[in-house]
This record gives sequence, structure tokens and C-alpha cells, in this order.
Amino acid sequence: MPPSDHPAGPGPASAGPAGSTPTTVGTPTVLSASAGPNTSGPLTADAPTTGEPLLVATGLRKTYRAGRGLGSSSRVHAVDGVDLTVAAGETLGVVGESGCGKSTLARLLVGLERPDSGQVRFAGLDVGTARGTRRRELRRAVQMVFQDPVTSLNPRMPILDVVAEPLDVHKLARGAVARRDRVAELLEMVGLAPDMMRRFPHEFSGGQRQRIGIARALATEPRVVVCDEPVSALDVSVQAQVVNLLAELQQRLGIALVFIAHDLGVVRHVSHRVAVMYLGRLAELGPAGTVYQDPAHPYTRALLGSVPVRHPRERGRERIVLAGDPPSPVDPPSGCRFHTRCPIAQDICARETPALLVPEGDAPSVAGERVAACHFAGTPVTPGRE
Amino acid sequence: MTSGVTSSRRSPDADLPAALRVRDLDVTFTGRRGTVPAVRGVDLDIAAGEVLVLLGESGSGKSVTARAVMGLLDPGGVQVRSAQTVVAGHDLTAADPEQVRKLRGKTMALVFQDALSALNPVLSIGDQLGEVFRIHRGLSRRAARAEAAELLRLVGIPAPDRRVRDYPHQFSGGMRQRILIAMAVALGPRLLIADEPTTALDVTVQAQILQLVDRLRTELGMGVLLITHDLGVAAEIADRVAVMYAGRIVETGTVAEVLDGPAHPYTAALLRSVPDLAQPGDRLRPIPGSPPNLLALPSGCAFHPRCDRATEECTVTRPQRRALAVPGRSAACHHAEEAVDAPV
Repeated sequence: MPPSDHPAGPGPASAGPAGSTPTTVGTPTVLSASAGPNTSGPLTADAPTTGEPLLVATGLRKTYRAGRGLGSSSRVHAVDGVDLTVAAGETLGVVGESGCGKSTLARLLVGLERPDSGQVRFAGLDVGTARGTRRRELRRAVQMVFQDPVTSLNPRMPILDVVAEPLDVHKLARGAVARRDRVAELLEMVGLAPDMMRRFPHEFSGGQRQRIGIARALATEPRVVVCDEPVSALDVSVQAQVVNLLAELQQRLGIALVFIAHDLGVVRHVSHRVAVMYLGRLAELGPAGTVYQDPAHPYTRALLGSVPVRHPRERGRERIVLAGDPPSPVDPPSGCRFHTRCPIAQDICARETPALLVPEGDAPSVAGERVAACHFAGTPVTPGRE
Repeated sequence: MTSGVTSSRRSPDADLPAALRVRDLDVTFTGRRGTVPAVRGVDLDIAAGEVLVLLGESGSGKSVTARAVMGLLDPGGVQVRSAQTVVAGHDLTAADPEQVRKLRGKTMALVFQDALSALNPVLSIGDQLGEVFRIHRGLSRRAARAEAAELLRLVGIPAPDRRVRDYPHQFSGGMRQRILIAMAVALGPRLLIADEPTTALDVTVQAQILQLVDRLRTELGMGVLLITHDLGVAAEIADRVAVMYAGRIVETGTVAEVLDGPAHPYTAALLRSVPDLAQPGDRLRPIPGSPPNLLALPSGCAFHPRCDRATEECTVTRPQRRALAVPGRSAACHHAEEAVDAPV
């Protein structure tokens, strides 16, 4: 699955809102790109018209109360103004250091958390305000795969019931036979033998448990699956099996994946587009190849420069090594949040928050596909990388 | 793996005794469900100032090996045996637990993966670091705290004189890992064992920690046994690599040799299953199946059910680890010679 020429991959417009000018992302015009709120028809039916994003997040903000102290008024700014889109059938990778808000973003996208402001729209419907049947349909259409395959499965349920639970909730299987047949089908889909359905989670290895987690997510025939660190808990030799499985399933079923991970190599491998997060905001967003080969944001460059070398002969390569840790999201820096660690920061960076824009130096061939939130996006950093 | 000690690569430390020499280490756990051969026949050689990366997946026996060397395995239900264990000239082969205890901290030290649970939450960092000096050197509280601040400076913690008063929860994950490393190197050990020291950390912080370990081994001339499952960490810092599978070392060599021409099919398969940032390929080539259950190891070579080179012989006869043509290289595979020459 070479990300560059995936047939279901998004068009150039998907880096920014379709139909708007290619220079900004996150303006209200993003809403006009998606269908109106009164779209009818089942959400799990055909893909929307080409180019229209399936999932649209606008101005997402989420804060949590920090600390345990009574009356503590400080808040963690977990996600602070994120705009992004996910097209049908594409994989959007999300990378960033721990605490950057990746997991909160995942939970917002599937509706497990309500944003403080901003909204998530799925096929034109506001995920936050949908009620009744609509709400259940949204729940069906957007599913999640969790990091830890052990704790995300009920240890006292046989696999049959684990996988069938979403079928029961959404009344998708009538009668015990149909239920069992559907579970068998799902298990086969993820590469497990159907006769394993009588066993319990502890009888499976880590990789098999994650397959069960994926089968469960697929039970409702979702259009979007948000995977939060799906392979981080797995052994190296097993990670690749699960990564390949997700890629295969995507091609077969045409689902969109949001793939959140801290492993930059795995994200590069599975993603069509990649979003780089720093302290609750997007630093850069664009096609995986562009972001990885020609990063525009100094944070993206530093992040990629931290990836261990592939071979000892590369040890001497020049790279930006970030000093220290990310600042606390309780009291994030002013202006550009990266300015406290940035090797090219100027005065303006502490004062003004940079907008997500197409970097000036981007070649026409990629222009419009990639955006970065940096006053000096694309400016070479000395010492330059490689 | 015979030439590690005599390797001339690190000539400045040639006069120092080897940091570690282990021969034929076996560790066996006895539990309700049976006898677990956690470690079998492990040999290790680490010269002063050298970094040996012990590479393997969970359950391969890497951490148990480290704890056995440190004498940290609880005697109940565990049998540790070796033909020889020498740490920086101290023969521990037949040493009693008290003798081993005395070497911990001063001669050999261990850095754990989980820095938060390895630190005492109710003691300030200065007290915890200073304890080392109070106990081993009989320093006063004030002098010990000053030494502690010096250590924090050594491992790159900003404003060390102020931060010695802080408590573990006031530090980030990367800083806590630095503090653990500071604690481990406090008394200038000859052998530092680091068990997955960067696994819980972000890549940006991992890069800092690996740089720190690399700097300290040069400055202090320590031998380092670094345990990881991450090939990138090995490529980044290792002089030599030992690959473990199902309790045994299956391959050894310099890091370049092992990455360029893995002699064991397991190592080769691991290399293929990791996505390459530089060449995002079509599909990853995973290793089929999962790591074996030590309670029911496959016959012959433990890797044969997952191996693409397995032949009849592999299912029957367990391959002994043997020296290969290149000095210092060894592999436990009937087909090691074919494997080395095959493209990765």
C-alpha cells in the first residue's frame, strides 16, 4: 500500500477545506465543504461524493481540570483549536510527543468526549448534538480500537460475546445463529479461526487480542475507525502483522482510519496524510511523503531527527536534538507553543500564534497539499538536517 | 562471542578488566504450572567502555539475564547457575548474596525502565541520591546533597541546586530517567545495566537519554549492558549486539555486522518487520505466529515454527551457538552461513 498512489487516497484539496482557498485551514469555510445537517439516508451506506471529507473537525478545544486541589482553577489545555478532515478510505496519521493531545483528539473524534468548543461532523451531522436514532447511527459509523488489547477486553466474556456486544447493542444480528455466524465472519476477517470464539481473552496472545479488538470495532460496519496506539503494546515481530491487517482491511472495506501513534516509522508506513501535534495544536499537516521528506515545521524536523538511525554509519548525521521536555499544557507558552524549544524562534513567535498556512517555499507540485503553523515555515535550520 | 574482551576497538580502556564476563548462565523458575527455562546457556562479554545491546522481544529472557547478573532474583522458586560470572574482576560465580550485594551500586548498577515506580515518592530527589553517598561514603546530609546536585548536573538537569529539593512527581518522565541514571552512576560503577531505559519515553527524549548514556560510558569508562526490543536503539548506541530468543542468545556480532548480514533468520525477520522511514515499502513482512511459550518450547530450534529457512533438521536438533568465520560473531542456526550471505 504505497501511500502515494493509494486509489482511495484523498485529493489535494483534503489538506485544506475543499473548495476554499488553499492558503488557510480552519476558517469557517470548512463547514460549507461538507453536506448540510439535514442529510438523510443511512450513515453506513455508500461513500460520500468524491472529495468531500467524511469526518470534519473544526476548532476543537478540550480542557480538563488540573490537579486534585479543591478549587484548583488551572486547566490542562489538551486540545486547543484543532481543525482537520478525514476523507473516506484514507488513513490520517497523528503523531506527537506524549501529552500533545493525541489521545484526547481520538476520543473527541469518536464522540467519547464532548469538546468545550468546536465540533466534529460526520457526513454532515454534528456528532455532539445528534440524538436518538441519529446518535446510534453515528456510534455505529465511527468506532475505536484501543491501545491495550488486554484491558480493553472483558476477561470474563468469551470472545463470542466480546465481539458480539456491538451487534447486540445495535441490534445487528437477529437470533443466536446469525449472531454466531457474524462473529465467525468477523474473526475470519481479522485472521483468527472462528472456532476460537468460545475461548476467553487470557487464552490469546497480545497480537491475537488486538485482532479481537479490531474485529469488535468492525462489527458495526463502521466508516471510520480511530486507532489509538494500536500496536504500541505489541512485540516488534507482531506489530507488523497488525499493521498489515489494518491496511488490508482498509483496502477491502474502504474504511477511513485515523491512526494515532508515537512510532513515526509505523505512522509513515500506514498513512496517506500525517498530522503533527504539539501541545494541543497542529504543527503540520500534509501528505505523508511531503511531511516526512521535506518537513516544513521546525518541530516536525526535530521529531524526525530524534528517530533512531537505521544503521550505525548514520550516527554522525546532523540533527536537531530538542533540549528538555515539552512545556506543561497547564500553562502553555504564548504565541507559537513551540517557541521555547525552537532553534529558529524570533520575537514574533512568542507574541503571535502562527496560522496553519501553506509554506511559501513549497514547490507548485505539492503546494496546497501541506500546511504548517510556523512564522518561518520552510526556513532552513542551522545546522541543517542531512 | 569470544573476542569481546580482547577486542582492541576501545584501546583507551584496554588496561581495565572486562566489565562483564558471563559463561553458560541458566535461570530456571519453578512454579505451579511447571518449570520455566527462562534463560539457557547465556554468554556475555563486555569490555570497559563498551556498549553491548541485548536485543529481544518480551519473554525472551533479557531482563531475567540482567537481574541474574545483578543478583536481584528472589531466591524462592528461582535457580540461577553459571559456569562463570565475573564483574570488573570480581568473581561472583560462587559468591553468596551478601558479597553480591556489596558490589551493587559501587561496581555494578541497574537502571530500570519505569522511573516513576523506581523512585520513592515521599523522599526528595536530593535525599534519594544523597542516600547513596551517606551509606557508601558516610557523608553528612549536607555534603551528600551537594554531591547529589553535582550528579544532577552530570546528567543534564537544569538548575540542579534548586531541583535537589524537589520530589519525583515534579519531574517529567525523561528527567526521572536521568535521575535514575544519575543514581546508578553515582559511585562510578564499572558495569551499568540499563533495562529498556527509553521504552516509555518519547523519541525526542529517547535521543537525549541515549546521548547521555553514550557520553557517560566514555567519560566514566563503564561497560554498558543495554536491554531493548528496539533495533533503532541498537543502531544508535551499540558497539556489539546479542540477540535473544526464547531464553537463548541466537546471534552475536558488532552492530554493523548484525544489521548488514544477520546470521540468524530471527534477526533477519525482525529487521524486515520494522518499517523503514527512508524507504516506505509496500507491505511489512511480519514474522508469522507469536513468540513461543517457555512452558512448551518447540522441539529442535525454538524458532523453527516461524522460520522461513527451517528444514527437517531444525525440527529435531537444537542448533548450538557456534563461532562464525568473522571473529566475534556467533549464531545458533543450522543455516547461519546461508543467512549471512542472503540479502536482508
